[in-house]
Amino acid sequence: MAEEITESSNDPPPETPPTPPSEPEFDSKTMRRTKPGLKRLFLTFTVLVSFLLGFPFLFKSVEIYRSPLPFHDIDSLSNDVVSNPFLFPCHFQAILVPSDPKSSSIDLNLDELELSIRSKITKLASKGIASQCGACTNNFTLSLTLDDGGCTQSSSKFYRCGAIRAVDLDFGDDESVDEALESAGLDSGGKVYSVVVVVNGDGVEGVKVVVGKYRHAWIVGRDWGVEEVAERLAEIFVRVFVNGGREEGLIHGEFMPVGADGRIVLSFNLLNADPNDWTYDWDFQKIDETLLAPMIDALGPIANISVESQVLYHTPKFSVSSWDEKLGGYIFSTKDLPFFVNSNEWHLDTSIAAGGRSKILQFVVYVPSAKECPLLLQLPNGEISKTNAFISPMWGGVMVWNPQSCSRDSDSELLVRHIMSPEDLQKVFEVFVGQFRQLFGLKSGSLHVGAMGSYSLLASEKGFTEWELDVLSRQHTCFNIHSSATTLGSLSKLVQSLPRMIIMDEIGKQVKFSLEAAKLARVNASLGFYDASAVSSRQARSLAEDAFFHPSIMSVSYYSFEHCFAVYSPFFLPVSMQFLLAALREWRRYKQEKAKYLLWKAKDKVAS
Amino acid sequence: MSIFLFLFLHNAIAYSSHSSSADTTMHTNNWAVLVCTSRFWFNYRHMANTLSLYRTVKRLGIPDERIILMLADDMACNARNKYPAQVFNNENHRLNLYGDNVEVDYRGYEVTVENFLRVLTGRHETAVPRSKRLLSDEGSHILLYMTGHGGDEFLKFQDSEELQSHDLADAVKQMKEKRRFKELLIMVDTCQAATLFNQLHSPGVLAIGSSMKGENSYSHHLDSDVGVSVVDRFTFYTLAFFERLNMYDNASLSSLFTSYDPNTLMSTAYYRTDLYRRHLDEVPVTNFFGSVMETIHTDSAYRAVPRKMSKRAGINMAVEKSVQHDDRRTLIDSNVQDPTSHMKTKDQNCPFTRTMNTFFDKVERIEHPDSLPKHRWFEWSSPMAIVVGSKSRVQTPAPTFITVHGDPGFSSMVGTVRVPCLVSVGRLGLAGIDVRESIGF
Repeated sequence: MAEEITESSNDPPPETPPTPPSEPEFDSKTMRRTKPGLKRLFLTFTVLVSFLLGFPFLFKSVEIYRSPLPFHDIDSLSNDVVSNPFLFPCHFQAILVPSDPKSSSIDLNLDELELSIRSKITKLASKGIASQCGACTNNFTLSLTLDDGGCTQSSSKFYRCGAIRAVDLDFGDDESVDEALESAGLDSGGKVYSVVVVVNGDGVEGVKVVVGKYRHAWIVGRDWGVEEVAERLAEIFVRVFVNGGREEGLIHGEFMPVGADGRIVLSFNLLNADPNDWTYDWDFQKIDETLLAPMIDALGPIANISVESQVLYHTPKFSVSSWDEKLGGYIFSTKDLPFFVNSNEWHLDTSIAAGGRSKILQFVVYVPSAKECPLLLQLPNGEISKTNAFISPMWGGVMVWNPQSCSRDSDSELLVRHIMSPEDLQKVFEVFVGQFRQLFGLKSGSLHVGAMGSYSLLASEKGFTEWELDVLSRQHTCFNIHSSATTLGSLSKLVQSLPRMIIMDEIGKQVKFSLEAAKLARVNASLGFYDASAVSSRQARSLAEDAFFHPSIMSVSYYSFEHCFAVYSPFFLPVSMQFLLAALREWRRYKQEKAKYLLWKAKDKVAS
Repeated sequence: MSIFLFLFLHNAIAYSSHSSSADTTMHTNNWAVLVCTSRFWFNYRHMANTLSLYRTVKRLGIPDERIILMLADDMACNARNKYPAQVFNNENHRLNLYGDNVEVDYRGYEVTVENFLRVLTGRHETAVPRSKRLLSDEGSHILLYMTGHGGDEFLKFQDSEELQSHDLADAVKQMKEKRRFKELLIMVDTCQAATLFNQLHSPGVLAIGSSMKGENSYSHHLDSDVGVSVVDRFTFYTLAFFERLNMYDNASLSSLFTSYDPNTLMSTAYYRTDLYRRHLDEVPVTNFFGSVMETIHTDSAYRAVPRKMSKRAGINMAVEKSVQHDDRRTLIDSNVQDPTSHMKTKDQNCPFTRTMNTFFDKVERIEHPDSLPKHRWFEWSSPMAIVVGSKSRVQTPAPTFITVHGDPGFSSMVGTVRVPCLVSVGRLGLAGIDVRESIGF
């Protein structure tokens, strides 16, 4: 009834005035004679529609900015890495020279030899030794040269005949042979792994195999068959040049001692266990310049290395050692090693230069106190360790250095500060370099025992030989690309699973650059530029990590849709309810009035 | 015969461990994230819980740099603490948890949900130092211990925010995605702790909570001297279990889990194992609560045969290069001092001691204590006394407590300063006494 009243008072054409009661059955409660007006309905709906029209603008204004990420490229990189493993090219060449071209000629079938070497390389590679990431045995070239006055060469030619004259070489002095071969220019500029086979070499008993500091090795021997030569060549190519002479299981391949940002901080610590007995210091600056700087330069493509040093006092070790009369020293055994490092007293990690994702490798020289001097490391077989040192993968290395005489300084009040002598320091750093190489998975002994006897390995002053650097470059490239592919894959999964997450332009850029660097690394790798590919793969990994760990991702990752609803509904819920209810009511009223009108119409029709 | 058998067994073990390392990554290191989420004096027990766990994992071998300790409040220096600079988890007061070498990584208002999630996921601002980061990798076992006040699927932080089970599960998922852990043990001592694990889906996660849904976790006992409860039941019995162990022990996780008795706990300890692959009775507790360093003996040094000529050339080259290398960091110069003269010379290098020394010099120079300038660290008011004491040996950086008493009416203000320089602690103590005498107390 109330509705009726309001309706009658508001409707512009008030058609309710009494009409001639010609139709007695007209009931004003259920019928009306005029069409219901549309104006009210129109007005309320206009308001509602304009309100609804505002929603897209609202959504636009509260939209979360997401930089478009190249999801497709990320997926294709991930797929590529899995389906299409790295094919580093490797070039091998073998040069056969007689020791004296006048007296003897070599009676060999080069084609037969080449076939034999090829099959042996493939066999060795398939045994799993060289099948790891970064190997190049799937994509190698092999060329053989027989340089015995005449010049017989097969396939690609890197070597210029006559460059090596075996008579000029003094095979007693490996270093000079190495330098002579390097200056002979065996690889003619490219990265070619060469083995020089000196047939019927005099002055050498049996067979002598030496691997040099550069990218070549030489075999001197006499009286051997094709099979044996092929076997040796294949072994040197695969086990040494491709695989770096390392053995499986030494260090797990995934543990690369390079930080996610491609940096390593070498932290050198000299620990004086008890300065009341004696204190030692070192001239680190000099060692840094003479020994470390060349090594750091050499490793430049693989990691950006910086060096720090500190001397600490009052740093007792954790484990206990026992006096052994026979060995004349305090003994700690290999099973005590896990408890040697006393992390509560050794404050090694004091670096402020190392960024959050850099890797710090600690190298510790431990100077024992007087009551545990000399301190000796006993191996499981009862022998005393030659190096007195051990490493912990991904952490660093410890070396125990015993002072010359273990007698205490005089009991005078003033303590003398000893400086470690340059010779001692040299020895200590030789162990450090050995440990550093060990952390990279390389062995440091000068002898490598292979299936066909042992080879000498010449050591480089840089700490890493050229061919070892190649191996590391290849391996790190492969690892870095895998790592950046998985990191970017994780990021894309994360971004797609959180639709309300802000993605800053910076992340988009980092992803883009990372993908570009990865692509570049792959191109360089396939061309055989190991160093360049290692550098760009490092960039790719670093950028991918930067993008994944971008701090802006965090702040909103637990900002859910419910959250958004809860924030905005207090503003809009009260108003929108009013509009919706009003529109609904008007619609119902209109329908009701229309029904009345229709009823009347029907009645009217029947009556007339 | 037995030697042969042993050798054979040894080989077999070595072989099996090697072959297993080929298909999965090895467990190489341990991390612990210990979080106390509640503030205020009456929540003393939560800090005591966390510090007890901190002490336990440290004792079992996790080094400080691999422990992230988050304490929402500093009970040791609370004005209501009758034992300043000490925290106890038992009324017998036998063990001071806040003794030497407690490194708190996040304290006070830094303990927020955001920072907690940043620690887990590793998304820090670039300036955040390494010690505040969880730098774990795919070979890490992580222990995550949390205590505070919680409810159905949430844990309160600082009485102002909450960590929801979704947030936790999301962070764990992201960690798994980036291979930041191999195995993760989440241990929660709070009311309805089990509900916090509801949303976890990542494999390799093991979770244990002090109480089921609808249950409360109670405190163990009240220390009438301190005036508040000092430890929670669940943590108390966990510690009781660990006190019997040392680094070399082989007790399994299942023995820990079955050691919880619902009657003494007054709640039901709940553990969720469906995401965890290994059998609990095969997993030693030291896999999470301890740490053993994996070591390999160094067989040989790397000895480049120095040829006279090439060596000299190398040195020359290096000398020339040294100019370029100047930008590399070398800390040598600051370290060449004699340790006996270390105290003096080191002072120049430590900003803290430097400031303190200049301050003490000033104090010695001025006649009227009233004219003391307002120092930027402390609000000075007179009369005052400065008491400096060190609880630790000289050589270790340990918290040093500097107590500054203001007006008699004013409650004493206690600040904790971690001294970054090793040897300067002793000198600081002396300086403190000097000051006290010079002022005339």
